[in-house]
Amino acid sequence: MIDTTAPLAPSAARQVSAATLLRRVVQGGGMILFIYLALYAYYGAIEPRALRAHSIADLMNNTVPLALAAAGLTFVVLNRGFDLSVAGVISICNVTLAVAPLEGPGGAALSALMCLAIGATVGLVNGLLVGYARLQSIAATLATMIICQGIALVILRAPGGFVSEWIVYEMTDRLWGVIPVSGLVVAAVLLVWILIRRTDFGVSIYAVGADEQAAAMSGINVRRVRAGAYVCAGMLYGLAGFMLSAQTATGNPNSGAPLLLLAFAAVALGGTSLAGGRGGVFASIMGAATLMLLQKVLFSSGISSFYTGMFQGSVLILAVVFSGLIARIGERK
Amino acid sequence: MESEAPAEAGQQDAVGHHALEVSGVSKAYGPTVALEHADLSLQAGRVLALLGENGAGKSTLVRILSGVVSPDTGEMMVHAAPYKPRSITEARGSQVATAFQELSLVPNLSVAQNLLLPRLAKSTLGLVSRRQVLTRGEEILSRHGLSRIDPDLEVSQLPLSDRQRIEIARAIENAGRVLILDEPTAALAETDWIFEQIIKARQRGVAILYISHRLAEVREICTSATVLRNGRSIATVGLEQATDGDIFEMMVGHRVDTTRQVAPKSARDPKPRVQVSDLQGEALNGVSFEINQGEVLGVAALEGQGQRALFRCLAGLTAAQGGTVQIDGKIAGYRSPRQAMHFASGVSYLPEERKTEGILTGLTAATNIVLPFLPRIAKMGFISARSEEATARRAAETVEMDKRYLSFDIADLSGGNQQKALMGRTLASGAQTLLLFDPTRGVDVGTKESIYTAIRQFAEAGGSVLFYSSELPEIVQLADRCLVLYDGRIAREFSGDDIAEHRLIAAMVGHSETEAA
Amino acid sequence: MTFSKDSTQDRSAFAQTGDARGVARVSRETINAIAVAVICIALLLGARFINPALGSWSQVETVLVLGSFLVVLSFGQGLVILTGGLDLSLPAVITLGGIMATNWIGMTDPTAWYLLPVVLLACAGVGLVSAIGIVWLRVPPFIMTLAMSIIVLSALLGYTRGSPRGGSPDAATALMKSSVLGLPSVIVFVIGFVIVGWLFQSRSVAGRYLYAIGTNLDAARIAGVPVVLMQMVPYVISAVCAGIVGIMLVGYSNGATLRMGDDYLLPSIAAVVIGGSSILGGRGTFLGTVGGALLLTTLGTIISAIGLQIGLRTIIEGLIVLTALLLLREELFQKLGSLWR
Repeated sequence: MIDTTAPLAPSAARQVSAATLLRRVVQGGGMILFIYLALYAYYGAIEPRALRAHSIADLMNNTVPLALAAAGLTFVVLNRGFDLSVAGVISICNVTLAVAPLEGPGGAALSALMCLAIGATVGLVNGLLVGYARLQSIAATLATMIICQGIALVILRAPGGFVSEWIVYEMTDRLWGVIPVSGLVVAAVLLVWILIRRTDFGVSIYAVGADEQAAAMSGINVRRVRAGAYVCAGMLYGLAGFMLSAQTATGNPNSGAPLLLLAFAAVALGGTSLAGGRGGVFASIMGAATLMLLQKVLFSSGISSFYTGMFQGSVLILAVVFSGLIARIGERK
Repeated sequence: MESEAPAEAGQQDAVGHHALEVSGVSKAYGPTVALEHADLSLQAGRVLALLGENGAGKSTLVRILSGVVSPDTGEMMVHAAPYKPRSITEARGSQVATAFQELSLVPNLSVAQNLLLPRLAKSTLGLVSRRQVLTRGEEILSRHGLSRIDPDLEVSQLPLSDRQRIEIARAIENAGRVLILDEPTAALAETDWIFEQIIKARQRGVAILYISHRLAEVREICTSATVLRNGRSIATVGLEQATDGDIFEMMVGHRVDTTRQVAPKSARDPKPRVQVSDLQGEALNGVSFEINQGEVLGVAALEGQGQRALFRCLAGLTAAQGGTVQIDGKIAGYRSPRQAMHFASGVSYLPEERKTEGILTGLTAATNIVLPFLPRIAKMGFISARSEEATARRAAETVEMDKRYLSFDIADLSGGNQQKALMGRTLASGAQTLLLFDPTRGVDVGTKESIYTAIRQFAEAGGSVLFYSSELPEIVQLADRCLVLYDGRIAREFSGDDIAEHRLIAAMVGHSETEAA
Repeated sequence: MTFSKDSTQDRSAFAQTGDARGVARVSRETINAIAVAVICIALLLGARFINPALGSWSQVETVLVLGSFLVVLSFGQGLVILTGGLDLSLPAVITLGGIMATNWIGMTDPTAWYLLPVVLLACAGVGLVSAIGIVWLRVPPFIMTLAMSIIVLSALLGYTRGSPRGGSPDAATALMKSSVLGLPSVIVFVIGFVIVGWLFQSRSVAGRYLYAIGTNLDAARIAGVPVVLMQMVPYVISAVCAGIVGIMLVGYSNGATLRMGDDYLLPSIAAVVIGGSSILGGRGTFLGTVGGALLLTTLGTIISAIGLQIGLRTIIEGLIVLTALLLLREELFQKLGSLWR
């Protein structure tokens, strides 16, 4: 419920129509949470090992890069923007970590900071281009993405290199044999998101996404909010690159590319509206988790991994059609 | 903090003190001058009306005063200090705030959040506190007599009238010195609430600029008025001395002649072209009428009495929920404007909003005109520039539009010429029934005459016209018969010389027949 | 952004005099197309100074052949963008066309040229499904074409079991490898394609409808444009174009791979944008797009001939897209316009 744009009334006494309630739940991530849990229950039923700490951590590790990328993308999509640079940022971070591995916990912290800085820089460029130069977001980020891909190729021409061992082992490990570290990273991101939601900036992101003109006339600095959203997004992409490197242990200048379209799929699946102003980070993370879980479930059901995409695509279309229907019912009321 | 500011300011300012001085302000967008030279003087504790035709420069002046745009030249002073706001926030810093006509509320935030934007109430941790936001919102609402509104409700869930009230309440909250109300009653059914708020603000010493088209309302709350015409402030008059005629003359530049010019139709057998019976819809509660061949049928109504729904339904844009429409005796089953144009003798619609539903910017005026009947002028699915131009020129001639404008991007034409192009398009579509929704909204007098002439010629040639107008003199001048809509029903019908402004007004506000007579 | 829209309203509402403004605005797209073409030629000629081997006729031919894929592809993408949409399924449909041509036709009978239209029909089917989802189910184009892309690629993966087989059908090879009147036949084909595409977009009834829809959907509906049908058409055309590109690529490299379309998605958008179209729809010409496609290809060829490594090449490409975007901003044109006056 963290992400409902208009938080639910504390007392049930307030009159909220059933349709409005349904819409809020769906857009707040309720729908995707339900799908995820149902899918997980099914997965547990057909694959008894699914509930072991090891498998959960494995799934979590697989999910986290996509989840973080989708979380970042959500900032931009809430603003009614597009951001293609996600792939480029992840690639740059990945090759940087592979070319310049820094050992030990200190090195890991430095690496993480570096990834955040790379993401923030690219995000700032996007934010200036979209917020201040008023370029179309999809066109501007297309350009920055191509440039980022080029930079990644300059840093590392062909797949190779090694990510520092500390990152590879510790970031994919479990604390006390139970809690996956990658899960903690996501939890930390969610916590930050909850705090951001309770700042003027957080509220402004939703306002700008829903009605830019009204937001401006209400005294919101639209350009700054927009640029800020891109910077936040970039930092999360950086973190996604960091976690992806821990996962793959090696560098690949194209490592971000496969995540690009999936990240959009995760955001849409979570119910965040591409028209802006509705949705949230939690929903997108669940969207990403569902896409990855779907892969596992299909594999366990004996369906060739070739066909995973057909299911992912169909689920995506169904989810968007469904939440669109719900939104329309809500608006009519 | 914000809540206390107005009261504080009120104590300092004596009534009559100069609150806002505007002198020689101008604004041009590229080669076009939106505001040429405006002078204005607002006094603390007084209400000044700003009057002018559509396009006289009122909205530009409001934008300048609110800090949305910066003027090219001229000076502004608030309480004797230079006032040069570069944003709405800066304007608010000088305690100048505006309730905008188009409403500046963010739909997906709550009422309370909207009231406090851009800085919400924080708890001790520096984070936005939901509870405090609600409390503060509730305070503001109750201060303006709106405690019945739930501060936690999302703005998109509110009816338009409440949204307008919240817009006004927010402006009053931020206006310690100058309050600008741009068409504040557009969505309000009655004026009691707003006048009460204005009086309260006045007592605190706030200077108020009141912009409205409704002269009766202006006379009730304002003492004087500044008139804008063609981007210049013409004069400031005391409203007690000036008659409505005087004011209209200042606004338009000449006396307005509203005598009826329609010659009584020769009494030939009326042949019905459109028969509407018991039409039901979103805002329609059973409407029945007929339009005959060669007849101009006017529709008069206050805002939001179902006229929009009626036109959109007849045009094929929305489906009726009940009742039938027959064209030439055939039951109309069309579901889009395209099908409507080709149904029986055809129905063609001139939309209400020229900018959003009418013109296609980026395309030439000629393309805009020929678009509905492109297949007619195409050969094998392709169009030659020459036949497009020739067809558009013929259509332009019927509305006296200069043909050199045809090759221009329609966005670069004046409002009047855009409207002429759309009118020419509607006429040239070949349809025998025209639905014209406010065909002369926001156009100059010359264009109006051209459009009137075109409508008359069309009817004389046997065409049928249904037109709504927000300007009653237009209905009086043009209509053979007139329907008055009220609350989704036909309240009264007038024909011939019975169509007179005072009768129409009486019927429009819902007076029963006996009272009207 | 919304404020600038308002200012446009004011501007037009008060524009009573002056004559040159409309004409200047409408021909902006034409000027842009010419500018792009001139830059292309200048680049090719200029490249001579860097390396005498460059800028020769054979290199022009190479550019045209390599550019032909992008020209065909970006015609469809351009139409979709014209109506305010975006087609992300192009790589998948290219692969569909390529794999059907090799695995299905190529395996059985390479001479079966009459089966190629069936391949295109299958591609059109994919476009139709996207169109139905977008127009009837109101799925945003971005999501719908993305989902279709994932679905089609996955189906192809399953169909080929991960490794496409078979060779190019003779007709595809002939298109890419033979020559007519001393010109590679693909160049002749593309010239024909450009003429037909230009006629369709700029001179046909359907083309006008697409502009109208891209400019203002509501106004187009009221003006009697068949909006439901015409919103669907671009996706079908775009899919067919992608299918053609798939077949062309098969003829060019004599085989299909599962990733053969990947490198064409972003260039197809970039070509349209550089060609002066608005990503929001309603603005742009096909000739501009052709110029954009050739410019991108020319640059790619020259940069690779100079011997820069692929990373720097990519960076330069991105910078060019960015520069084009910044230069093409409407405001900039207005500013320049006011300077001339």
